[in-house]
Amino acid sequence: MAKLLSENFYKEMGKLEPRYPSKVALLLPALHEAQKETGWLPPEIMEEIGTYIGIHPAQVREVASFYTMYNLKPVGKYHLKICTNVACCLRGSEELVDHCKKKFGIELGETTPDKKFTLMEEECLGACGTAPAMMLNDDYHENLTVQGLDKILDGLK
Amino acid sequence: MPKCIIDGREVEFKPGQNLVEVAASVGIEIPVFCYHPGLTVVAQCRMCAIEIEKMPKLQTACSTPAAEGMVVKTKSDRVKQNQKSVMEFLLINHPLDCPICDKSGECDLQDNSYKYGDSYMRTTEERRTYMDLDMGPVIQKSMNRCIHCTRCIRFGQEIAGIHEMVAVQRGNNTEITTIDGRPLETDYAGNYSDICPTGSLTLKDFRFKKRVWYLKKTPTVCEGCSRGCNMEIQQDANTVYRCVPRTNMEINKYWLCDEGRFNYQYIHDAARVLNPAVSGGTAGLQMTEWSQAVVAARSSLDGKKPMVLVGSDLTQEEVQALQQFLNKHLSGTPIFHFGTPGVTSTQKDGAADPILKRKSKTANLNGLEKLGIKGFESVPSGVNAAIIFRGGRAVVPELKGVGTKVGVGVFNKPDAEDFHAILPGTSFAEKDGTIFNFEGREQKFKRAILPQGQSKNLPEILMLWANSGAVGGAA
Repeated sequence: MAKLLSENFYKEMGKLEPRYPSKVALLLPALHEAQKETGWLPPEIMEEIGTYIGIHPAQVREVASFYTMYNLKPVGKYHLKICTNVACCLRGSEELVDHCKKKFGIELGETTPDKKFTLMEEECLGACGTAPAMMLNDDYHENLTVQGLDKILDGLK
Repeated sequence: MPKCIIDGREVEFKPGQNLVEVAASVGIEIPVFCYHPGLTVVAQCRMCAIEIEKMPKLQTACSTPAAEGMVVKTKSDRVKQNQKSVMEFLLINHPLDCPICDKSGECDLQDNSYKYGDSYMRTTEERRTYMDLDMGPVIQKSMNRCIHCTRCIRFGQEIAGIHEMVAVQRGNNTEITTIDGRPLETDYAGNYSDICPTGSLTLKDFRFKKRVWYLKKTPTVCEGCSRGCNMEIQQDANTVYRCVPRTNMEINKYWLCDEGRFNYQYIHDAARVLNPAVSGGTAGLQMTEWSQAVVAARSSLDGKKPMVLVGSDLTQEEVQALQQFLNKHLSGTPIFHFGTPGVTSTQKDGAADPILKRKSKTANLNGLEKLGIKGFESVPSGVNAAIIFRGGRAVVPELKGVGTKVGVGVFNKPDAEDFHAILPGTSFAEKDGTIFNFEGREQKFKRAILPQGQSKNLPEILMLWANSGAVGGAA
């Protein structure tokens, strides 16, 4: 089977391997690294990771589907993850979600047709003190209001 | 031995035994779902929670080892209340489709619900549902019935050695599955159905065939290989519906491979020869009567130099009767055993996988060697006829230069077209007997069903054969 992951991926993994007691522990960093390369985790890539680590591809899927930061579907250029847990919910995160739905015309978990925005609901981001919070790709945006969110989104290209 | 007190009874235990086992040893049942004695303990279903004096909270009995002087209550109000709550939680999303579920009647969820649950339910919400993907030819999945006990996942990981069943997603959306509907790869998939405490994983082979409470159970020994796993034949009205493993910690523990589990199917195979048959020349095998078939079998050997081939799937009793018969009526005939191609002696037998399977695909190879019979390698010079005695498993070897073949036992029509006569015998489910497994362990098994069709037990056939000559060849 032709390798889908780059040389760089295997180089990085080789560097990380001594840090862990077993190779299975490499699974999370491997999934992160692979996602960095492709943006999401197609089944073939998870299979390749399974072969590399020496576990059944089903186990890779099990782990990848447990954590919300691994994308099992392609995502847009900007990936919005809005926290809807208790603190954020009380501080109006549901309004933010509704606003985004209306603004982009998509439902939760969907991507705009131009592949620019993906909207997702997130469990606690650990930013309860500055609720409501959102993750935009890898960055945190806190103390959000609808206007503030609009400003951030309109600034994106 | 140390002692603890369970429900006011003093109970002895071995150090390290958990409370479920200790209680069971004196007949006190602690209900469980996720606990299985053959798998690791995860204590996640909470059904086995019991009260231990001096401990503030309820403890899960499956993960608590018994200790000297421990005072355990399994029927206190707190315990009963917990059991009721756990049952209520587990049934929130269970479809309660027992009337159409194959597990009904032997279902842990059903039994525990009767014994420990409440008779009504407070929830009115819609139930969670899943789309079921296929899982290969052995197991039928109905995810809606699942209670997430993860026994199947642990079985795959720990016993079958392949972690193909996993729990994807999380929380309320957790789904137990193979990925993308891949078929199960393990040869032990049938066990998934046995260990499932609900009807989530059932056998496709048994699907909608029979309600389990109609089945009569006969303990028997698997004839699938030289391991000799203990199993149970379940039948109704003389038809075998399924085979399930019987616990024997020294041989197969709790498990059974699919090959052994579904081996019974040949008993009711439409191609099995169930009537005495004689060769009708170009017309192929023709059904006839016992007396005529025996005479035809005998006379086909007239003037020939025969040898006797005994399948190593026959029992000790059968082979001993056969040896006596041969001494008296066909003395001097060379006799060999046959069974699995390439495995002609116990030395050539060996483990076929790290779990249960053996290379010898017949059960009594060891026993036949004990009786002094040699494995068949090639046709001895001068021999031009063969009488082949076979149970249901042995593979008849290629017989070069043998023009006349007489079959006694279980044969399939397509394999036996060139035989001169077939005297239908019985399979392992239709007879009593003793076999020796590869370790030399002697095991007896009992008849589960009556002989199918007109088939007869081997001693009876030998008697007919012997007597057919005495009355002038026309019994």
